[in-house]
Amino acid sequence: MWDALIITPFVNVLLFIYNLVGQNFGLAIILFTLLIRLVTHPLMVKQIKGAKAMQELQKNEKWLKIQEKYKNDREKLAQEQMALYRELGINPFASCLPTLIQFPIIIGLYQSLIIALASTPIELLNLIRHIYPALLKVETLIPLNSQFLWMDLGLPERLVLPFLPVGIPVLAIVVTVTTYLQGKLMTPPSANPKDQSAMFSNMMNLYMPFLMGYLALTLASGLALYFVVSNLIGILQYAMLGQLNWKNILPKRVAEKPSKAGAKK
Amino acid sequence: MTRLPKIFLLASLLLVALLLGGCSGVLASSSWPGVTVVNDVAYVAYGNHVYALRTDDGGMIWRFPEKAEGQRLFFAAPVVADGHLIVGDYLAVLHSLEPQTGQEQWAFTGAQGRWIASPLVLDGRIYAPNADHNLYALDLQGNLVWKFRASKALWSQPVSDGRYIYQASMDHYLYALDPANGQKIWARDLGGAVIYSPVLSDTGIIYISTLARNVLAIRTEDGSVVWQKAFEHNFWSQPLLHGDRLYLGDLGGKVYALSALDGAVLWENNLGEALTGAPTWVEEQVIFTTESGKVIAFTEEGIQKWMVTLEGKIYNGPVIANGRLLVGVTQGKILVQALAPTGQQVWAFEPPK
Repeated sequence: MWDALIITPFVNVLLFIYNLVGQNFGLAIILFTLLIRLVTHPLMVKQIKGAKAMQELQKNEKWLKIQEKYKNDREKLAQEQMALYRELGINPFASCLPTLIQFPIIIGLYQSLIIALASTPIELLNLIRHIYPALLKVETLIPLNSQFLWMDLGLPERLVLPFLPVGIPVLAIVVTVTTYLQGKLMTPPSANPKDQSAMFSNMMNLYMPFLMGYLALTLASGLALYFVVSNLIGILQYAMLGQLNWKNILPKRVAEKPSKAGAKK
Repeated sequence: MTRLPKIFLLASLLLVALLLGGCSGVLASSSWPGVTVVNDVAYVAYGNHVYALRTDDGGMIWRFPEKAEGQRLFFAAPVVADGHLIVGDYLAVLHSLEPQTGQEQWAFTGAQGRWIASPLVLDGRIYAPNADHNLYALDLQGNLVWKFRASKALWSQPVSDGRYIYQASMDHYLYALDPANGQKIWARDLGGAVIYSPVLSDTGIIYISTLARNVLAIRTEDGSVVWQKAFEHNFWSQPLLHGDRLYLGDLGGKVYALSALDGAVLWENNLGEALTGAPTWVEEQVIFTTESGKVIAFTEEGIQKWMVTLEGKIYNGPVIANGRLLVGVTQGKILVQALAPTGQQVWAFEPPK
């Protein structure tokens, strides 16, 4: 079911793009990722708007009041919260639902890339079985041209330079950096940096780049390329919506210091 | 940081790692066991080890390496000749082992890609095809003599009539090369990629199946096509040449007997499940294997005699050992199953942990 509805159509679209761009698999991965992100863009906008509305609600006077008033009565608190949602026209699931819809699409995109990057016999047999014969011809398509720039997209990437004894994992470094930037730029400013969710976000932003970098180091470079493109598109989408939080990566202004001094007085 | 977010953080990272890493597949099931039999010993390459087994009872004599080494995986059937067992791994290393003990004699590290196909050893020289597009000719000490570069990966074992080396490639071509220096004598476009090795007749004809759903007969002399026949489905198997007949099965589930003279279909039988690997001839029967684990015997005229279902998947045909059939199985508990020519199960080898 999952295979027939998501994976197989994705594999065929990816390979169709591959044929369109002159059998360049790297370019096909970039365009395919872009296409999927464009299709899911309206969902992402809804998700961001929903999340923002929920965030602003945390500062709402009425919200704070009912939190304080019913802090020992969970049932009443839930009722009052629902009433406030209705009053302000906020859907508490507005940010969850688009994420839930996007999630299988992104996983499908990732899995279809893995299938298309077949570099062993059983993987190739699996790929052949995913191809629609009416759309694509196995005989002209196989083997896929997995060479892109200096990389074989079916294998982990290393840039080998003649004057260095070991290859440089350029993509793994780029994945680590872009994941870090994406995490930092897309994390909304927190009203209270010491609350648990803010601390959790900070820790994720710290550990996730290393995890993604490690995966890029060990998995096929086609997937690492997808990670990079996906990170960059994510940042671009947030930038277009004016949601990038530059304060998270720019050095903090010295202007904050006088207030501290003032507080001491 | 309190304990709860730490747990959430750990769980989230694990989930991401599982989703991304787990989705990328397990290399151990990337290919199928490569089985070779020499005298009373079966050599099996699969996963992290190469095993030497007694063909009479399936007992393990040795395995190489003794301790698994991460992504060092072996799938190509080992080749034994002149006191060397030659086997390649997925980390681009071609090993020469001592066949009796499994001790490493030398390793060739000059290739860049995986060793997916078995080498050919002929007249004191090793011809080893690699996924890096090169066919490497080495002496028996592992020194490079020459290499020939195709335009795509080489996944099939070369064959030779002593005059030329014939190497099929994923680039759709069959090449005839001079064994002395690797010079190309001729190249024939087959119309599709080749996964399995060609079959050579003693009358100077090469028979080959391709991913373009065709079977071709090609003259070794000049690469000209004697005949070619198109089929409905792709082939993931090597033809068996017996007498003046070719036997093979396709991914659509049909087994065929063809005339080797002109490719005419003599009989066909629809089994309804993908046929994989090379058929084998034993005691006046042709043995086919299916991906879903079936081993099926037919008479020369296409009458089914017996069928056995093994647990796991089969991608390569049985190998004959002292009149028995040795079947390499993947994705099951058993790695090698020995069958009598009647289909009766004789022994099974389950690799030790």
